[in-house]
Amino acid sequence: MATDKELNDFLANVERRAFKQAVYAVRKDESALDIVQDAMIKLAEKYGDKPAAELPMLFQRILQTTILDYFRREKVRNTWVSLFSGLGRRGGEDEDFDILEAYEAEEGSAAAESSLDQVERAQTLRLIDAEIQKLPARQREAFLMRYWQDMDVAETAAAMGCSEGSVKTHCSRATHTLADALRAKGIKL
Amino acid sequence: MNTDDINLAYKLRHALNENLDALPASTTERLAAARALALSRKKADAPTRQRKAGRLFDAGFHLSGAGLGRLGVAIPLLALVFGLGGLYQYEQQQRIAEIAELDAAVLADELPLTAYLDHGFNAYLESQQRQQ
Repeated sequence: MATDKELNDFLANVERRAFKQAVYAVRKDESALDIVQDAMIKLAEKYGDKPAAELPMLFQRILQTTILDYFRREKVRNTWVSLFSGLGRRGGEDEDFDILEAYEAEEGSAAAESSLDQVERAQTLRLIDAEIQKLPARQREAFLMRYWQDMDVAETAAAMGCSEGSVKTHCSRATHTLADALRAKGIKL
Repeated sequence: MNTDDINLAYKLRHALNENLDALPASTTERLAAARALALSRKKADAPTRQRKAGRLFDAGFHLSGAGLGRLGVAIPLLALVFGLGGLYQYEQQQRIAEIAELDAAVLADELPLTAYLDHGFNAYLESQQRQQ
């Protein structure tokens, strides 16, 4: 069974990455913070007595489920909003939203006050962030769990509820998509 | 995945980790608060409780709160299944008895069965009923 310290250390270690994972999925910082908080509470309440070694897989599974729940609630809420407000074009505007446009606007303001190298580095990091956000959800989940959360193929498969072969395929596709996208933008890591 | 792909994946991981350092202080504070809240609600030491219960029922019969809850659902369900089964059997028996009674009445009748198929005989019966 994980002690309080082990659970605290584990959560402290994964919380920022979990937050970014949630931001990639829902694109709203506030909602992502709520999701991570919910996932942490669920892990502590329901699986606080599990061995520390099982925590990464369990936490990832809870995080993915909480993100899914968020989308379900949003879908229901949007249905009621569109029923009662007549904002019929809102959905169309969302579809046209391109995350890169938002990032380019930010780049302009940052460039004015930073040195060239810092700006270039920050720009590269933001582009990588944006490209990861643009990946299909399952590919992104597999890629982040395998290479960012240090989970092995079996753990990732268990957390995602799919086969190990699917995890490998998702990871490979995600890496190729990211490589192509960064190459197209002239970024060399 | 070949070596180049894996190298790229780890370079991306490095870039992502660099991005984490740039998180605003308000976000990291909120995450720390969420962690503290989660720890305050940590599940109690469940396995110890189970061990104590195990000692009480040494014959291997474990009865925990969750087990009792499941029994509470299973018993009414079983009663319902047996009740429905009994009702079905009783209805079947009743039906068989009714059919047997009808068969006996038809067989005991003096008239042959073909008489009931005769239109003339039916007309005769109707006229008899009307006269009465």
